[in-house]
Amino acid sequence: MNFTRIWAVTYKEWREIFRDRLFFIMAFVLPIGIFLVVGFGISFDVEKITFAVLDQDNTAMSRDFLHRFIDSRYFDYKGHVQSEREFDPLLADSNIRFAIIIPPRFEEQLLSGQATSVQSLIDGVFPYRAEVAKGYVTAIIANFNTQSLAEYLARKRGISKGQAIAQVSPLRLESRYLYNQALRSQWSISSGLMMLVLMVAPPFLTALGVVREKENGSIYNIYASTISRSEFILGKLLPYLLISCLNILILWWLVMHVFGTPFKGHPFFYYIASIIYVLCTSGVGLVVSLLVRTQVAAVMLTIVLSFVPAMLYSGLLVPVDSMGRETQIEAHLFPTLYYLRITWGSFLKGLGWTELWFDVAILLSYALILWGIGFLNFHKRPAE
Amino acid sequence: MNYHAFLLWWSRTFTMTIKELKQLIRDPVLLLIIAYFFTIDVYMAGSGINLSLRNASIMAIDHDHSPASRELIYRFRPPYFDFKGDISGKNEAEERLNKGQILAVLDIPENFQRHLLQGQAETVQFQVDTSNTVLGTLATTYAMQITADFGRDFVGKQTGLNSDTMEALPVIQNRYRVLYNPNRIDSWFMSIMELLTVITMLSMMLPAAAAVREKERGTIEQLAVSPLSSLQILLPKVISMGLVILFGVAVCLFLIIIPLFHLPVKGSISLFFAVTALYVFTASGIGLFIATISQSLGQVTMLVILLMMPILLLSGAWAPPETMPHAMYLAMTVSPLYYYNEMTYAILLKGAGIDILWDSILELSGLGVVFFNFGIWHFRRQF
Amino acid sequence: MGEASLVDKQAVINITGFCKRYKKKLAVNAVDLTIQRGEIYGLIGPDGAGKSSLMKAIAGVLSFEQGTLDVLGVTIDSEASAEKIKGRLGFMPQGLGLNLYGDLSVEENIDFFAQLREVQPEQLDQRKDKLLGMTRLDKFRERPMKNLSGGMKQKLGLICTLIHQPELVILDEPTTGVDPVSRRDFWAILAELLQEHNITALVSTAYMDEAARFNRLSLMYNGQILAAGTPDAISQQAKGCLIELTAEPQLEALKQLKIHYLQIETIGSRIRVFADNTSVNAGVKTVTDLLAGVKIKTIRAFDAALEDSFIALLRQRPLTDQTQKDNSIPRFDKPLPDDKSIAIEAKQLTRDFGKFRSVDHINFSVKQGEIFGLLGANGAGKTTAIKMLTGILPPSEGEGQVAGADMRKAGQLIKERIGYMSQAFSLYLDLTVMENIRLFASIYGVDRKTLKQRIDWVINIAGLAEVIGQLAGSLPMGIRQRLALGCALIHQPGVLFLDEPTSGVDPIGRRQFWDILVHLARVEQVAILVTTHYMTEAEHCDHLVLMYAGRVIADDTPTTMIESLQNEAGQLLEITTDKPLQALTLLEKENFKGVALFGKHIHLLALDVKRVKKQISELLTKHSIKLLEITAQTPTLEDVFVYRVLALENKELT
Repeated sequence: MNFTRIWAVTYKEWREIFRDRLFFIMAFVLPIGIFLVVGFGISFDVEKITFAVLDQDNTAMSRDFLHRFIDSRYFDYKGHVQSEREFDPLLADSNIRFAIIIPPRFEEQLLSGQATSVQSLIDGVFPYRAEVAKGYVTAIIANFNTQSLAEYLARKRGISKGQAIAQVSPLRLESRYLYNQALRSQWSISSGLMMLVLMVAPPFLTALGVVREKENGSIYNIYASTISRSEFILGKLLPYLLISCLNILILWWLVMHVFGTPFKGHPFFYYIASIIYVLCTSGVGLVVSLLVRTQVAAVMLTIVLSFVPAMLYSGLLVPVDSMGRETQIEAHLFPTLYYLRITWGSFLKGLGWTELWFDVAILLSYALILWGIGFLNFHKRPAE
Repeated sequence: MNYHAFLLWWSRTFTMTIKELKQLIRDPVLLLIIAYFFTIDVYMAGSGINLSLRNASIMAIDHDHSPASRELIYRFRPPYFDFKGDISGKNEAEERLNKGQILAVLDIPENFQRHLLQGQAETVQFQVDTSNTVLGTLATTYAMQITADFGRDFVGKQTGLNSDTMEALPVIQNRYRVLYNPNRIDSWFMSIMELLTVITMLSMMLPAAAAVREKERGTIEQLAVSPLSSLQILLPKVISMGLVILFGVAVCLFLIIIPLFHLPVKGSISLFFAVTALYVFTASGIGLFIATISQSLGQVTMLVILLMMPILLLSGAWAPPETMPHAMYLAMTVSPLYYYNEMTYAILLKGAGIDILWDSILELSGLGVVFFNFGIWHFRRQF
Repeated sequence: MGEASLVDKQAVINITGFCKRYKKKLAVNAVDLTIQRGEIYGLIGPDGAGKSSLMKAIAGVLSFEQGTLDVLGVTIDSEASAEKIKGRLGFMPQGLGLNLYGDLSVEENIDFFAQLREVQPEQLDQRKDKLLGMTRLDKFRERPMKNLSGGMKQKLGLICTLIHQPELVILDEPTTGVDPVSRRDFWAILAELLQEHNITALVSTAYMDEAARFNRLSLMYNGQILAAGTPDAISQQAKGCLIELTAEPQLEALKQLKIHYLQIETIGSRIRVFADNTSVNAGVKTVTDLLAGVKIKTIRAFDAALEDSFIALLRQRPLTDQTQKDNSIPRFDKPLPDDKSIAIEAKQLTRDFGKFRSVDHINFSVKQGEIFGLLGANGAGKTTAIKMLTGILPPSEGEGQVAGADMRKAGQLIKERIGYMSQAFSLYLDLTVMENIRLFASIYGVDRKTLKQRIDWVINIAGLAEVIGQLAGSLPMGIRQRLALGCALIHQPGVLFLDEPTSGVDPIGRRQFWDILVHLARVEQVAILVTTHYMTEAEHCDHLVLMYAGRVIADDTPTTMIESLQNEAGQLLEITTDKPLQALTLLEKENFKGVALFGKHIHLLALDVKRVKKQISELLTKHSIKLLEITAQTPTLEDVFVYRVLALENKELT
């Protein structure tokens, strides 16, 4: 190892990055941009579900029932319609995502001790939202039923209201939301995005950095000089690693202060683990850059090798448990899964070395393997 | 323009279009990439991403060990839950939850069965890992229903309040219908979503790549001194790549999405293709702008990715427009994908026709004209 | 001690039976080569001759399949063995400034190479100052590399390659795309540096006229070495002599000579014939006898220059297609334009880019049937001028007429009436020859009735019949160039613009190309405007304009240009001595005009030849340098170019 030579390459690369506007954008603006846009752009909070109403009863009780929807923060009232047919264009054009129909004699039947039914229509295009919306509707109706039924039973059977409620709803589930009490999807998504952005940006940078040198011929300066393979790889990638290490901190800050996600874990542990992860993802870029010759090919291959596992196999969008057996095995082959565990563990669960050492060890071995492949495949005397 | 000049104009545009197609055919790598995106990529997204709760691992702390508690635990079973066994206490529960081995813990108190039988209201605790909110929310929703149903069924024998007798009581029964996708098949939404992403990316990328390739190889100079106008140089790239994309969409729809995911097409396929053509034209305007400011294919790719992100996420597919902050909502109205996204689902899944969608079509056309002219204008300015 | 000196005398590079293969294509085929210490050794050959592959292998950055390769006493057969020599050599790959870093400044580029090569800081400062001074780049230390002119990039590349003082430098086409002044500068600097440290250099070039710069050289063609030795020795390998004549009518003379000779070239009003196996005297007689009925104005014979020898060698060996095709070039199907009417006219044409004035009130005119050359250093404003004339760029001031249309108002009309061919031969390499022709036919609106006929015409005129179905990208440069010309001619334009049309093309291809151009001008009255950096090509022009800093500084026929230089600065003296470099420094110090080193010879300009000859011989004797030979010659166009441009540069400096 000769540090003059490593430094020569590093220093040159560093200055090039800062003078090439496009590259500078790639290095800082792109990761942060992706991060903010995705962070704000993806939301699994199902709120403000737009809906319209057909009230064929129009009594005090039907209005009272409807107000439970109108007043809820989960629903956003858009108006009444006069016939069921009017719902079709509204739903088809996505003006509303939910419709509720109250039948005639709604109040009359309930007061006379008979069951009645309301019909709800839910836009099922995005099944997850439909499912959650259905849950809300069920809960509101169940709540209404418990009250009205308890009152009815208390009157009819001459028991106290408390007893009546115990009969109507004998068992309740008390949920304790661990790690994310407010159920804010932005907490999980924003912290999870660290995994995504650090999977995508570092390999892009490293791959483009090496391929750029190959494409315009300046790699021959390296080939023709006495710098060794490892010196070159190290010197070349050092600036990108530094940028990524800086990006970790920037993203971390954004997760906490823009998205308001708490950090409960050990900062030192998480930073070290993140650097190891960046070593890993940069290694992907290094391997890509040795396989291809043009910048376009580098970009395409990096997308396939980094974006796909980050989106599909990490557990960010698709829970690993929900995958099929084979897919679960595939998911375990990518480093993204382990880093996501570390991230959520650190941010939301407050875990550290004792719980997560295994995941870190796996990331470390990935990094070693990828860098090893990179080193062995870089030749200063290629065949073409 | 007289007839002869008009004929000449078209013959030039036509030849240039054919040229672009021929060049594409001779670029096997690019063809392969296009084919990958329209087939494997869409298939993977459709079959891979799944936002429903399946086999969530759950364990129980059973302080009661009664038939009632066993019965309740038994009800936490597939497809939603997968019961992994009992645990001793809170510490173990916490440890397993921390390590992500299980999603939730059901905590059943002592005297659970006795209280229920005595007609006392009882509560069970459900600790759920909400670091992934999607899973946490769904698990809680299902668990609530399961426990409520169990409670009613268990005590129904005494109170006479079971599903059969409910008919005779003053309750509101919820008759819900999930429209357009009654079985809540995730792959319908996801595969279409991915197809739209692919269309967006390629509509920006392919014409831009074709234009920048002329720059890289110096042929743009040759065209600039020929009698072709900027429009005649650029329009053929958009037409030819548009045709390729429409062909890809057809392949994807008829060979992947419809047969493999059993998507029922409710609306008019031809309307969908017309809207797609309009969208490709709009997005290619952005592509031409990218081509103008880039010098190489590498730069084009980077800029496409840079612009893709906001376009995709402001499309309303990942977060419905009504939940967006106001500024983001305003930004959405100038994002062509917002209109296209909405129209695609409306046509394919909801069966909407031109009578419902005419306003969106007009808005998208307006954006298309603006974007495309901007691209051409910018391109012309660089000489 | 004895052993050490023995090692020193060993060859720096020793190659036997070298083969390099890319997939199925054999790039270098059984090459043997020996290079001695201190030599400037040249590899000359067209694009694709195998020069780059050979040089990369020698530099240890490319593996090869067969043969033995010894460099600096090390046998290169693996990546590890190649590493051993890398500290002792410098390599500059092909492509002007491509191995440098555009966003870094001149100084930062040098510093990077120095650090990479572990040059000590004190040494670095000293060497940097010296090299920057020699190359006159010291004023531009802070300038980003991408904003340098071609010539400056090339010099910076040289500094970076030499900063660690290697024993051997390998320079791959360092002079391609650089103007004559910068090139002359480059060679001077290279020679001086090499001499100073006894460095050996292996340099490649695609241009035959640079052969005189080398001590020894190899001519490469198709992966093989055609001939090797000193420039003079190679010239003599092709048996025969060169006869130059002017005759009236020229076309008739050409026609008669073509029956008997295979290697004929027209240069302006002159005809050059290579007569195989003929002595100088016999050649003149034979040619005179052949041309009965044609009025011969002048005729003389001399030994062939390298380019003629190269072609003759290819013919005599026979490595190229012997049977030259029937050269009856088909005629236009359009009526000829008015004889001698003005085809291109620039009046006070000016273009500003911000504060920078790229073209400054230029005036010239080109008649129908004239071949017009536009010369100038990189950045002199040639390209901007052409862009304005072809209607791509509106002028800031002034006016112009092209093909009968006003440049300011009728840009579209101009575009329809002119043909244009750029230096990159702007073809679609992924389309076939036929598809390219058809595409341009449609772009230029050739109507359906004449289409077939016109395509046949293009195929004939450019000689493309055998490659019609092949992809343009698979063709050798020479054929690509003719295809590009054919595409530019599809609408039979009256005016043709050619922007550096012959870079990288082999000499045979270049000649065929010029044959077509001469035909177009003479027979079809096409006005042709050419820009070039190569003065052997400028000789083909009927009229030349020399641009400097956006202005026209000379406007005349090539012959008059040379004559006026002779009147102003005198004859060209070629001096041969036993110590060329010392002699060079001496002569430069004594303020002789236009002193330059060409291989072993020194050129300078002298008005009073006799007096100067005497002066020189005295001077050299005084410094005990042996004067071997001193001859007076007519200056070439390159001398004109360098003299005029340097005169202005010096004026600006003072």
